[in-house]
Amino acid sequence: MTAVPFDPFASGTLLAGAVVATVASLWLLLPNGRDTTSARWLGTLLGLGALAAFILAGRRLGGLGEEAVFLIVSLVAVVSAAATIVSRSPVYAAIWFALTLAGVAGVLLVLGAQFLGVATIVVYAGAILVMFLFVLMLAQPAGLAPYDRVSNEPFLSALAGAVLLGVLSLSIGRLSAAPAACCGVPSRATATPTAGTQPPSAVGGEATAAPVADPLATAADPLAENHVARLGGELFGRHLVAVEAAGVLLLVALIGAIAVVSRGGDAQAAAVSPSSSPAAGRSAAR
Amino acid sequence: MNTMQSLPLLQNALTVGAILFSLGLVGILARRNLIVMFLAAEMMLQGISVSLVAWSRYHGDWGGHVLVIFVLTVAACEAAVALVFVLQAFSRTGRLDSAAWQSLREATVGRTVDHELPSIDTVPPKFPTLAPAGILPAADENEPLQREHV
Repeated sequence: MTAVPFDPFASGTLLAGAVVATVASLWLLLPNGRDTTSARWLGTLLGLGALAAFILAGRRLGGLGEEAVFLIVSLVAVVSAAATIVSRSPVYAAIWFALTLAGVAGVLLVLGAQFLGVATIVVYAGAILVMFLFVLMLAQPAGLAPYDRVSNEPFLSALAGAVLLGVLSLSIGRLSAAPAACCGVPSRATATPTAGTQPPSAVGGEATAAPVADPLATAADPLAENHVARLGGELFGRHLVAVEAAGVLLLVALIGAIAVVSRGGDAQAAAVSPSSSPAAGRSAAR
Repeated sequence: MNTMQSLPLLQNALTVGAILFSLGLVGILARRNLIVMFLAAEMMLQGISVSLVAWSRYHGDWGGHVLVIFVLTVAACEAAVALVFVLQAFSRTGRLDSAAWQSLREATVGRTVDHELPSIDTVPPKFPTLAPAGILPAADENEPLQREHV
């Protein structure tokens, strides 16, 4: 394998520093009821430092091709994801999440998943996120609510997330190109680009010959050719039963949502007198 | 070479997925707004999707792609049903606060009390200002036309 072995966190100090910076940054940035502008700036700087540490610790990026595109879209996704969870206003959180979805769609496109990248934009940003915004407009009390300005245990939450991220980074850094000894799952990406047409046994035999393979051949995406057509063939061929089950699930969710809305509204209108709840008038009007 | 090697590409994409998943975990643990918690859960799903597609590219088969399509489907169903529950919860309490339902907690868990909560925003919102043009319309004091904040 001509690739340099991925050895991002050999020292461990960089990873530990990144984790500590992530904890401090998220702790400073999460709503805690006594926000100061300086604390938020410090948190932002620490977060950018943590991000830089993760990038430095990871694979060095070279060239201006696919790698730069990947870096840009993943930075967009990660930064706007952090902004989503630290936004005080839920509307801003939803807008930041839309930007996260755009970044994730870019990452999926770089990974060669053309259909999924477009579907993420259409389904998530176009449908699900708009549904979120509808609910926000229906259910948003005037002004910035008190519960948007405090967090549940911000330090412990940030610690949990950052430690999980550190552990995941360690295990990702320890991945190697060698095929797994236990399961015998061949890495078809190291075989020729036409590996999809070969039986798995022949591909598994080629995994040992991978170090002498052409690097361009190892980098090529075996799924790129006729991507959407082959994905549809796979989906409606091998996974047809699952597609039917997903259709039934969609129908059940649709009926369930309508049932809960109609019945719950009646019960709630009967149970709550208009003076006891600030939202009673709204629910009775529904 | 203008394309990444498959293993570094896998590791970079898995790292992005791990970061998204961890940020979503922090959000769902820390935030109290039900809708923001829900957005954080969707963010965790996005991290999983990126990881699945990365593995799919690395192994050169369609399993990850197909799984992500089903993740999209389940996320749509989940969003529909859960947003209905969020609306019901809001219409019962008037708040989108998860702590409004803390009577459901375990008997051994203490009650969530907000300490040192300022009564007003310490950071006032900044709205864009436009140069005045035309005639200022007569304002109707009885009807609030806009919210103070978004």
